[in-house]
Amino acid sequence: MEELRIPQVSSNGNLPAILTGQLASMTTGYRPDPEQELQEPSYYDYPVLKAPVWRWEIIWYFFFGGLAAGCYVIASIAALFGSRDDRAVARTGYYLSLLAVLPCPVLLIKDLGRPDRFLHMLRIFKVKSPMSMGTWGLVAFSFFSGITAVIQASRDGILGRWWGPRLLAALPQRLLAIPGSAFGVFLGGYTGVLLTATSIPLWSRSKLLGAIFISSAISTSSALISFVLRLTRTPGPVLHKLEQFEWVALLVEMAGLFTFLRGSGRAARALVGNGPAEHGRTFWSFVAGTGLMLPWLLQTFSLLAGRSAKRGRGGGMLISILVLVGGYFLRRTMIEAGHTSSADARTTLWNARR
Amino acid sequence: MKSQAAMGFFTDTSVCIGCKACEIACKQWNQLPASEPVWTGSSYDNTGQLSATTWRHVQFIERIERPDIPLLELDTTSMPGTQSPALPFFNSDRWLMQSDVCKHCVNAPCLEACPTGSIIRTEFDTVYVQQDICNGCGYCVVACPFGVIERDQYGDRKAHKCTLCYDRLKEGFEPACAKVCPTASIQFGEVEQLKAHARERLGTLHERGVQEARLYGVDDDMLEGGLNSFFLLLDQPEVYNLPQNPQRPSNNVMPASFWTIVAAGVMGLVGIFIFNK
Repeated sequence: MEELRIPQVSSNGNLPAILTGQLASMTTGYRPDPEQELQEPSYYDYPVLKAPVWRWEIIWYFFFGGLAAGCYVIASIAALFGSRDDRAVARTGYYLSLLAVLPCPVLLIKDLGRPDRFLHMLRIFKVKSPMSMGTWGLVAFSFFSGITAVIQASRDGILGRWWGPRLLAALPQRLLAIPGSAFGVFLGGYTGVLLTATSIPLWSRSKLLGAIFISSAISTSSALISFVLRLTRTPGPVLHKLEQFEWVALLVEMAGLFTFLRGSGRAARALVGNGPAEHGRTFWSFVAGTGLMLPWLLQTFSLLAGRSAKRGRGGGMLISILVLVGGYFLRRTMIEAGHTSSADARTTLWNARR
Repeated sequence: MKSQAAMGFFTDTSVCIGCKACEIACKQWNQLPASEPVWTGSSYDNTGQLSATTWRHVQFIERIERPDIPLLELDTTSMPGTQSPALPFFNSDRWLMQSDVCKHCVNAPCLEACPTGSIIRTEFDTVYVQQDICNGCGYCVVACPFGVIERDQYGDRKAHKCTLCYDRLKEGFEPACAKVCPTASIQFGEVEQLKAHARERLGTLHERGVQEARLYGVDDDMLEGGLNSFFLLLDQPEVYNLPQNPQRPSNNVMPASFWTIVAAGVMGLVGIFIFNK
């Protein structure tokens, strides 16, 4: 068990920096030792690796992809195992899933160096490459998301009463939801696997990014569905199941993140540290703090207070917004810290010593 | 018909003189744009690192913190009143130079990552980026554990790296850098022959007392297959910014996918339980 020592206080006594450093050390088990690390050899501290080329397009793709995937999976669970009252969850989830998947190909194509060549992604099917598999997975999921939402729309009467929607409404939505959910799980988690299958120390030392991303997909999607249901004034009991599910997903996500940080050690400093280019301040406040811990605690009190307690719409919606913003910042800090991690020569060389 | 043997580089840094003819020949043959002239402040290195438009990069490492290595002593008895001068810059123990290049790994992470099939192995067993297919996704950039391949951000926005002068090999010529190297520090040939030569050279250096000499990438354990472009170094790899034992990124796919499925399974079961009530 690591002994907690008083950290080196910087000359301006910066409290956020100190707190960030303490949280980082407690979770990763790594305490920076600048004197020791300066002794480590490198080539004049030039980066060993090349920086990732991904920017805001990929951050938002991860966010929307997670929502599309999670909404579909939650909707399918509600449709396959829920009661009649839970059909509102299924309906909302399927519509949100399609809405969330629409910007995804646009963002991915825009991110390419040569967007006009986006179809080259479909030239091969390479099992060892998460990006190749992901392209095909996104195509497959988009199909299932689209057909499921169209069947839903037909049954809800949105598309009219002519023979087209009548035919679609007769299609087996629940049967299609099974492979659709499998592709949904793939879409929600493969982006984490993609980051792990690189040489960037922050992303690749621990193998848990896929698990973190899929649990974040579920928690953000659950938050989004309950937010929309509250907007449409859906009665309480339906929301209660979603809240329980969201509570579990947040727990799995926090456990995954903690284990990720523990396993990464020094490699995680770009994400949780308090150094100049490190993203610890944003991570601990907007991801771990208001994005996970705070909504989870609020949700715990809400659930403990019981179903019968009068729950203000505002409180529930606040929790949803906190989770959604936290989910965005999780992906943003993870990508941006990857840039920082790639530039850290000594940590890269440390990571390659086995 | 004799099948083509695997071809590669043996870069022997013990005879590199830091002339940078390799950098220039590479730029000239491949019609690569000049980099902005920059005084890096780190010795005579003015390229800094490999990039999309720099495929040979000469490193200079001034090892001035080596008190165990004696300075070169000159005979000054015929020159009264002078101190024995130290001449560190002409002693290879003090000043290391290396021409860095793409390692053309046997199990190239960039090739395993490439989702378009742009990166291939040629008939010479070299790793090559087909420029008419690459769409600049940037996945190879983060896969490479040596920081070699890069996307040309301000140019054609595709990924570029050393081609091992594929066009020259097809005509039976040797790569431009190997041809121009004045000390034969860069040697080109069949990988197996170069490896034998490298081991022989290492033995010679050890016999002469250069104990710091070591091979990098010659054994098959580097990325589980070795490198087709390997090195003889005069210090630990990290001094040259080379990772000691990099992990093969594609090995992470299975464990990462496993934990994803576990997390999804746990949440799925809990979800079914909750909604089934």
